[in-house]
Amino acid sequence: MMPLLTMKKRQNLAMLLRYVFIIVFAAFALFPIYEMVATSLKNEVDAFSIPPKWVFLPTFKNYQEVLFEGKFFTYFYNSIFVALTATVLSVAAGALGAYSLARFKFKGKKLVVIGTLLMRMVPPVILVVPIFLLYNQLGVTNARMSLALVYVALNLPFNIWVLRTFIMEVPKELEESAQMDGCSHMMTFRRIILPLIAPGLSVASIFTFRISWNEFILSLVLTNRNTRTLPVAVSLFLTDTGTEWGKITAIATIIAIPAFIFTFTAAKSLIMGLTAGAVKG
Amino acid sequence: MKKIGLIAVMIAILVSAAVFAGGQQEAEQAPAAAESTDGFDWRQFEGQTIVACWPNHGHYNATMKSGVIEEFEELTGIDVEIDLLQYIKMHDKQVLEMSKASGDYDMVSMVVMWKAEYAMGDMIEPLQPFFDKPNLAVPEYDFDDLVPGYVEVTGIAGGENIYMDGPGAKLYGLPFGSETSFLVYRQDLFDEYDIEVPETYDDLIEVSKFVHENIDGVGGLTMRGASGHHATHGYLLHASPYGARILEKGTWEPAFTEPESIKTIEFMKKMVEYGPPGMTGYTQDEEWQAFLQGDAAMYLDASVFTGAVNDPSKSKVVGKVGYALHPTAKTAGSETGGFGLAIPKNATNPEASFLFMQYLTMKETERKIIDNGGAPFRMSSVNDPALQEEYPEFEVLAEQLKYANPDWRPIIPEWGEINSTIGININQALTGEKTPEEAMEDAVDPIRDILIRAGYIDE
Amino acid sequence: MSSLSLRQKSTPLMFLLPSLIIMAFILLVPIIMGLRLSFFEWLMRDISKEPTFVGLRNYIELFKSDNFRTSVFVTIRFVLSVVVIEIVAGLILALLLESGLKGMRFFRTLFVLPIMVAPVVVGVMWRFMYNPSYGKINYLLTQIGFERVEWLSNPDIALTSVIIADVWQWTPFVFLLALAALQGVPQDLSDAAVVDGANYMQKLLRIKLPYIASILGVTAILRLIDAFRSLVVIFNLTYGGPGVSTEVMSLHLYKSAFVSQRLGLASAIAVLLLLLIVILSLGLLVSNLRNKEN
Repeated sequence: MMPLLTMKKRQNLAMLLRYVFIIVFAAFALFPIYEMVATSLKNEVDAFSIPPKWVFLPTFKNYQEVLFEGKFFTYFYNSIFVALTATVLSVAAGALGAYSLARFKFKGKKLVVIGTLLMRMVPPVILVVPIFLLYNQLGVTNARMSLALVYVALNLPFNIWVLRTFIMEVPKELEESAQMDGCSHMMTFRRIILPLIAPGLSVASIFTFRISWNEFILSLVLTNRNTRTLPVAVSLFLTDTGTEWGKITAIATIIAIPAFIFTFTAAKSLIMGLTAGAVKG
Repeated sequence: MKKIGLIAVMIAILVSAAVFAGGQQEAEQAPAAAESTDGFDWRQFEGQTIVACWPNHGHYNATMKSGVIEEFEELTGIDVEIDLLQYIKMHDKQVLEMSKASGDYDMVSMVVMWKAEYAMGDMIEPLQPFFDKPNLAVPEYDFDDLVPGYVEVTGIAGGENIYMDGPGAKLYGLPFGSETSFLVYRQDLFDEYDIEVPETYDDLIEVSKFVHENIDGVGGLTMRGASGHHATHGYLLHASPYGARILEKGTWEPAFTEPESIKTIEFMKKMVEYGPPGMTGYTQDEEWQAFLQGDAAMYLDASVFTGAVNDPSKSKVVGKVGYALHPTAKTAGSETGGFGLAIPKNATNPEASFLFMQYLTMKETERKIIDNGGAPFRMSSVNDPALQEEYPEFEVLAEQLKYANPDWRPIIPEWGEINSTIGININQALTGEKTPEEAMEDAVDPIRDILIRAGYIDE
Repeated sequence: MSSLSLRQKSTPLMFLLPSLIIMAFILLVPIIMGLRLSFFEWLMRDISKEPTFVGLRNYIELFKSDNFRTSVFVTIRFVLSVVVIEIVAGLILALLLESGLKGMRFFRTLFVLPIMVAPVVVGVMWRFMYNPSYGKINYLLTQIGFERVEWLSNPDIALTSVIIADVWQWTPFVFLLALAALQGVPQDLSDAAVVDGANYMQKLLRIKLPYIASILGVTAILRLIDAFRSLVVIFNLTYGGPGVSTEVMSLHLYKSAFVSQRLGLASAIAVLLLLLIVILSLGLLVSNLRNKEN
């Protein structure tokens, strides 16, 4: 009896500790986000009150101004187009490339693997002017697709590396048996590999989306007033005479929403991918 | 007989001169509307579109709110599109856009720091050829009424010291969103504690100390001190009255190690001590907020601040403030800065853009912009008793503009790099990482290197 | 037969081709153009003119510059701190939320939120919270009896403040990858261990950690790289100050390119940054590649 009880007690204690840790972490993770949303719903005067006004009458004035003054909806459409295009293309190309690098032996493979990572290491700031000049010569500036392709390229090294690692964790036997059944490489890739690396795919797409959605300087330089993306609108509220706190937090909250939604759906597919994998495994 | 004849001739000349002068004055005062409808063809560029790259800035927002852009479109049949950008990133976009064969912009708003760079880099058009064409120059424009200090600092380049007026200088821009500096103080606190408004820098130190020691939770003067261009700006504001300079006139040698400069930094250190907490990390945002939230008793910086001070959604000190001249030390000298309008060399419709530029800076337009919270840029406005009644700060402004110093910093094309370098060292002096002397001495070599590379001085 | 082997041989290339084409044109060409500039003097405002060849002048200038040397040390301190803290915290978080907990999915999504906030906003929000007068952090500290902290205005503290903000935003990255990896641990392995009577720690050390080690290694490499390049948050939080106490190399690079407008000097910094990343990630890289072969 006694040892059993203590074990149960210990388990309960462990569970309690787990929750305490999680709640402390959660408070740390959530407080800045709470501040962001709360500030967006306050007058600027209230936002600076000390002691803070924990209870206040929310105002939607900031949201109104952010949404309906200026070109919010144009930029929003551009952002959705650019981020989704970049994510789909970059993750798809990255998965194909990763499969090749994880499963085949060929000359120059190591070069590609290391070269890809090296490209990831280059600070994007120094690419701004060369890409601008390149695009200018080709006459493709100001197009949404041109910007999307830049994000595809910028994210490919990351996607290739992450997905390659995930593919290498997949037991080879699964593919071998499929190929014995007459599946081509492409079919094996689609039917066996892709479902099993679903968690990796969702991680890759979350981060590609995130970068394409938030990137600022390339978007500013490569587009014009009609094809620009949302971060340019966010930056507007950091003015020469200070920060327009109400507006910047309002637009930050608004543009975080599609990113949240994307994460939620990606997270869901993460779990779905898991269960699918478990069934097959 | 001869003498009488001579006197008669002289009288005749004087009389005719007076009549002539009077007539001219009358012509200038003629109502603008009448002239423009029959004398000037506003619709010559009907159907064209112009794109203007503007900053998100109080003055420009006031312009857009006032409806003058729509009125211009109505009057001329020209379409105006505004590309609103964050000012700090506007520069990169404009430079790249102006490097294209055909750029997106017909008009750019430039900060005074970029003026020499754009003009010397052949990126923007000189404006005189436009003013010289009778079909383009609006007759009642009255150029001379524009605040002369503003015109020089925002518009003129290529003369003495590259960024100043003088032989060889040309007009490249018109002031729009320009500013000077003055003192804003808490009238309520000054009354309550019987404080005299500081007139000199010594007064300023004394008042700051008094406030710091006697008023709980309130600091003396709010000031920018963050590492880089913010600290430099804070420094320059006080360097001008203290008689300190960044570079020696004529030789371009660093002059910021001189005693006047060290005195300026020692003054700033005192302000950090007596001011609201954390000023060595203050950007302009914190500088403003400290005053708006009531944490500081005085503000001494750009005059555009008045818009925010009087806005109850931003300010806790509405109706509690007074305005005074920028205090004096060795001399009186306030800053001049802000934005000007210019036309890129690769503009598609430069002439339509020139019409827009004039329209925006005409007297009647200016009134409408002021009414919406914009900044005045014509002498006739700040001196107008009716406007002074409505905007109490105009009276101070009119007086202050007499001491506006268009040469309070060397805005050569390399200024950005100098600005950032020296600002790091000023900040290090403010945090106590280095002594003022050490900090400024350490900046000499890097800044000389910049000047050597650009060919201003020899090694 | 020969055509089949040709197809066999070309298969890996076919899979790789889309990535290679895109990366070659939009990444490799600009990178070469950019890095080549490190031997040139080229000003942003002279972009229509040809660059001037200056040999090693930009590098010599950097080696002589005190501020650059400081920025190298600041970068190393920043990067090592954030990578270690984030890997540890992210892993702990993933283990806590791995399984068997009520509200697990809710917490998982919750912990991913910080990464979705736009970096520019992360910078300004933390600046807001760190403010000495109206910032909530100092307010909360004084409420529970601590002294006010000069988060951003004291050169000895500012880097810590920057690290806290980075840990806040990027721990979820490690968390997500670690969680995804943990979910790949075959259940039968775990079950077998339980039957063997292994306790939690033994299970963790013997089964889970070895299994997810390679993904964790890649996570560390990627995080290391990104930490070296991180710019936007620091830009908006401290802009490198006070003094140069938080001026990481990428910010120094940014200022060289866009404030001083010296594209050549910026490229030289990029080359040195690249070298530093390679050196520091070499250990991780070698072990990663060796793992692959087995």
